[in-house]
Amino acid sequence: MRRVSFCVALAFTLAWSFSASLSAQTKKPSEKSKAASSFDPHDLSGVWYDDHPRPNKVDERYWIYKFTQGEPPMTPWGQAQFDASKSSFGPAAVPLKDTNDPIYHTCTPPGFPRVLLHPFPFQIIQSPTEVIFLFEYDSMLHQIHIDGRKHDESLGPLWMGDSIGHWEGDTLVTDTVNFNEKTWVDRMGHPHSDQLHVIEHIRRVDHDHLEDDITVDDPKAYTKPWTGHMTYALYPKWTLGEYFCEDQSDFDEIENNETKPMK
Amino acid sequence: MRIQAQRFALALAIILGYFSTAAAQTKQPPAAPAAAPSFDPHDLSGVWFDDHPRLITVQQRYWAYTFTLDAPPMTAWGQEKFSAAKPSFGPHAIPLAESNDPLYHTCSPIGFPLIYLYPLPLQIVQTPGEVIMLFEWDSLRHQIFIDGRKHDETLGPLWMGDSIGHWDGDTLVTDTVNLNDKTWLDRMGHPHSEQLHVIERIRRVDHDHLVDDLTIEDPKAYTKPWTARLPYVLKPKWTIAEQFCEDVRSFQDIDQDAAAPAK
Repeated sequence: MRRVSFCVALAFTLAWSFSASLSAQTKKPSEKSKAASSFDPHDLSGVWYDDHPRPNKVDERYWIYKFTQGEPPMTPWGQAQFDASKSSFGPAAVPLKDTNDPIYHTCTPPGFPRVLLHPFPFQIIQSPTEVIFLFEYDSMLHQIHIDGRKHDESLGPLWMGDSIGHWEGDTLVTDTVNFNEKTWVDRMGHPHSDQLHVIEHIRRVDHDHLEDDITVDDPKAYTKPWTGHMTYALYPKWTLGEYFCEDQSDFDEIENNETKPMK
Repeated sequence: MRIQAQRFALALAIILGYFSTAAAQTKQPPAAPAAAPSFDPHDLSGVWFDDHPRLITVQQRYWAYTFTLDAPPMTAWGQEKFSAAKPSFGPHAIPLAESNDPLYHTCSPIGFPLIYLYPLPLQIVQTPGEVIMLFEWDSLRHQIFIDGRKHDETLGPLWMGDSIGHWDGDTLVTDTVNLNDKTWLDRMGHPHSEQLHVIERIRRVDHDHLVDDLTIEDPKAYTKPWTARLPYVLKPKWTIAEQFCEDVRSFQDIDQDAAAPAK
C-alpha cells in the first residue's frame, strides 16, 4: 500500500530524518539520486528497525503496542482476558506500578509475536536451512527452520513458539505454533491461548525495506484470523546492543517495593 | 536436561531401528571401515555440546562449575572477592537459598565467559562478517565480528562483552572486552573486574569436534593470564531449545519463600 515507488519511500525517509542520532545513519544526499540499489529478495540479512512514520502524537503510534489500528475480533473468552488486562500502553493505560503485564515484575520473555512491537532493532541472519531473527530486546530469538521439517509437538509449549517456513517466490512464509500461555499477544493486553498460530509473509520489497505481514489465528481468543502489517528499514551501520529487562531501573523499583519492603 | 535425555533416547532409538520411519534412514553397515568424514575447518556451524568425559563423581566434573582445576593466581582484590562469595557449586558449596551468587533471585543475564559453564548446547551460525554463538540458556549470544572492526568503547559495559575476531590459519582467534562486573567469572565464585579480557582460540579439529582454548586476562583480579580448554562435540540432529532462567523452578521457589514466607 505505502510502498508505491522507491522514490516515494526515499522522500519519506528524508522528511523523517530529524533526529541527530539517526541522521548519522541515514543516506547522504548524493546517494538519493542513484538508481534503486540492486538486491537479492532472498537475502533478508542485516539489522532492521521499525519504519513507520513518526507522528507527533504518541496515541497515533499504535504499532509500538499493537499490530492493527482497529480492535481484533475477540471471542467471549478473549474479551474476558482482555478486560482483565491492565496495560501500561494504549488508550486505557495504567501507571506502571498498577500494571499486570506479565513481563513486568518478573522479566519473563515477551514472547512472539509481541517482541516485534518492542521498539528495538533486530538482525536477520541466514543459513541454508534457517532464517534467524536476533532481537536486541532481551536477546530473543525467532528461529525459522526452512529445511522442510514439520512442527515438533514434543518441544512443549514455548515462549517464542516452534517456527518453520518456506519460500513462495520472493516471500518467506513462516508458520509458528506450540506457544505457552504466559504472554500477551501485544503490549496492550490482547490475549492469546495455546492454540495461537502465527503466519508471517516476509518480503524484502527493495534494498532498504522489509515487510512482515503477521496473521494471528487463535480460535479460542479471536473469532477469525487478523493481520498486522509491520514495516522495517535497513540500518547498515547498526549492530545490536544489549537491552535486558533486568537492567531497567523502573522494574527494579517496583520489584524491590513489592518483595523487600524493608530493604 | 530432560530435553537432552529425550534427544539422546531418540537418537539411540533411531540407531537401533525401533521406528519404522527411521529404519529407512539409517545407513547400511559399511563393508569396510569408513574414512574420517571430510570437513571445512573454517565451517564452525552446527549445534555443539560439551564433550568432556562423563566421569562418575560430581566432584571430578569440575567443568560444570569452573574453567580449570588449577586455581588461578588471584590478586589481593581477587582473593577478597573470592572469599566473600558463597557459591552453590564446587567444593565449598552451600545450599541454594544461602548463596549470594548474583544471578540467583534476579535472573540477570549470565555473562561471558560464564555462559560456557552451563551444561546446555550452543549453535554456531556464520555470515561473511560474523561468527555467532546462540546459547540455549536464556537465548543469549556471543556475537564475534570478523569484518575488521575494532572494539567500541561507547557500547558501555556489557553482559556478554564486545567481541571481535579473525582467522589465523584454521584457528578463529577472538578478543572480548567491555564486560560489566555484575557476574562471577564461574559458578564457584571466582571473580572478575571490568578489566576482564578474554581471548579464544577456536578450532574445528575434525568433523565432529571443536575445541575452544580460553585465555582469561584480568590484572585487577588475577596476577597473570591463565588458560582453560573447552571441548565440544557436534550434535547434527539437535536444535537448540528454550531454557529461560525465569522458568527454573528452584529460583522462583527461593524468591517466593524469601518474599512471602507465610504464603
